[in-house]
Amino acid sequence: MENVQRTPEEAMPASEAVDYRTRCALSTDKSNVARIASMPDAKSTTPASPELLDLEPLRNARDASLKTREGLDSLLSAKIGKFASEDTSLVVFGSLAREEWTSKSDLDWTYLIDGGANSDHLKISQEIQKLLKEEGYVEPGPSGTFGNMAFSHDIIHQIGGQYDTNKNTTQRILLLLESCPIGRRTEAHERVIRGVINRYLEEDVHPLTRDSNRYRVPRFLLNDIVRFWRTMAVDFASKQRDRAGEGWGLRNAKLRMSRKLIFASGMLVCFSAYLDPALNEQISTDKDAIKLKLVNHIRDRVKLTPLQILAKSIEQYEVPDATAKELFGAYGEFLGLLNDEKSREALKVLRASGSRTDATFRTVRDISRAFENALDHIFFVNPNVAPLTRKYGVF
Amino acid sequence: MRNIGFSTGALARGDFRAALRMLAGKNGSAVELSALRQEELAPLVDQLGDLELDSFEYISFHAPSAMQPTFEDEALRLLEQVAYRGWPIIVHPDAMCHRREWARLGGHLCIENMDKRKPIGQTANDLAGIFRDLPHASLCFDIGHARQVDPTMSEASTILQCFRDRIKQLHVSEVNTQSRHDCLSLESTIAFQKVAHLVPVDVPIILESRVEESEINEEIQCALAALDPATQLAVAGD
Repeated sequence: MENVQRTPEEAMPASEAVDYRTRCALSTDKSNVARIASMPDAKSTTPASPELLDLEPLRNARDASLKTREGLDSLLSAKIGKFASEDTSLVVFGSLAREEWTSKSDLDWTYLIDGGANSDHLKISQEIQKLLKEEGYVEPGPSGTFGNMAFSHDIIHQIGGQYDTNKNTTQRILLLLESCPIGRRTEAHERVIRGVINRYLEEDVHPLTRDSNRYRVPRFLLNDIVRFWRTMAVDFASKQRDRAGEGWGLRNAKLRMSRKLIFASGMLVCFSAYLDPALNEQISTDKDAIKLKLVNHIRDRVKLTPLQILAKSIEQYEVPDATAKELFGAYGEFLGLLNDEKSREALKVLRASGSRTDATFRTVRDISRAFENALDHIFFVNPNVAPLTRKYGVF
Repeated sequence: MRNIGFSTGALARGDFRAALRMLAGKNGSAVELSALRQEELAPLVDQLGDLELDSFEYISFHAPSAMQPTFEDEALRLLEQVAYRGWPIIVHPDAMCHRREWARLGGHLCIENMDKRKPIGQTANDLAGIFRDLPHASLCFDIGHARQVDPTMSEASTILQCFRDRIKQLHVSEVNTQSRHDCLSLESTIAFQKVAHLVPVDVPIILESRVEESEINEEIQCALAALDPATQLAVAGD
């Protein structure tokens, strides 16, 4: 089934279509399956409104992110000087890059180097680290993935294989799906992102479907994104052990929401290669142009924040308004919760053992269920996306 | 205060008049008139008498960075007119087809050390060979080129130690891995500070950083700070 021209659901009688929806569901949870099966037909409702991204908590977080990024640039320029160059970029990740900055967000950053080896890079990286600490920014987690230097060679060359460490995979995928350079010198960041995209596509020998009418879903990239999501989930358990249960509540909430958002947006970027009419209209016979257009398409998509990718997909694939509102409403509530000092602190100190009785975590659970419900609709019910989830999502 | 200014080619590629307009009223007291391409040489030399250069205390001239061998005689004839004005003439080692012919420019000939792309002229050894053929030539020390060739600044240090007395002017910019001249970053500043104490303090500085007009004064300040031996000592004592 290489070329998905017509969705399997469209080809089925209505009664079978419901069964199909249930089969599409990855979860074995019976209530979840029933919930997905009862979702409204995507085509019968109004498409999502573009104002979704302007819900108050989302707008506040976005404004705070832009202000914080500008503040960072001013601070570093004033105290350190021209911290980036043609060969180096200061890149932020996490909530600041996703435009979801809240009052106690930690600052994940890396000094990205795409140039000759130079021992002074460490000195600059340490200067940045020292200054950010002095200025009271919350430091990145203790894993060492952020808060220091990263080199383009490993990020581009080591995709898969025994040298693709957890840190390298994380830096690479997050560079694609949630990164933003600080200041005017963005060339290194741009080159590395294009290098990574190019590398993924180099391994896909046949970028087009057999009839050359459409781009195929870039499998190598998709598989790495899926792998990264599973890695985050597995690492959640590993961190629980390493840190003796400390920080469980906040990490769990993030896994249910922001980490899942990254995964969903990454899948949608890959699916857009197949689904985007503007891209598929540009297919030519020139082999180089075929690849270049796909590189440019993916680059353009990942310039958007994960929420913007969701919003664009919702609009493009005619996801019902109710689903869109459920998704963005839930995410807005999540950001509101993180921005509330008391709730954030409650999650920070919450251990797994207390999760069933904790009021704040109950709220998180409700929010994340609504969020997942909406994602389920997009990925398992929507007639554009569901067949691709079925084809590429698991096996 | 040492003379410092810009290369016209860095500010407005091929349009020296526009570059001079950009420099008017800025903090610079030096300028390098650039004819970086062969076809720019004759028009620039022809118009030298008409240019308003009174505000500059130091003026130099950059010869084309590459030339057809058949153009070399004509180039030398034109450059002799520049030499007549007493200005240093900056020449890339690989642009000279018949190297010894260039001795005609005498003490006005100023050889520049090269970046990675060029076949010769990057190292102290290369420069020694060139100065053997052209004993009266001086050196335009391009600190950005030297850093690109060896980011540890060891080669820069060797060149400065060997040819310190020949240095007539400095070229300053950040030369990136693509060999493009860029604004000074913290990275290049730290590197330059490592050898700043070896650079004669009175040697004029010509910036080759590609900047907007609004950034000229800021870049001048950055370069002065990067080459200030006092700053170097502060870093060393850190």
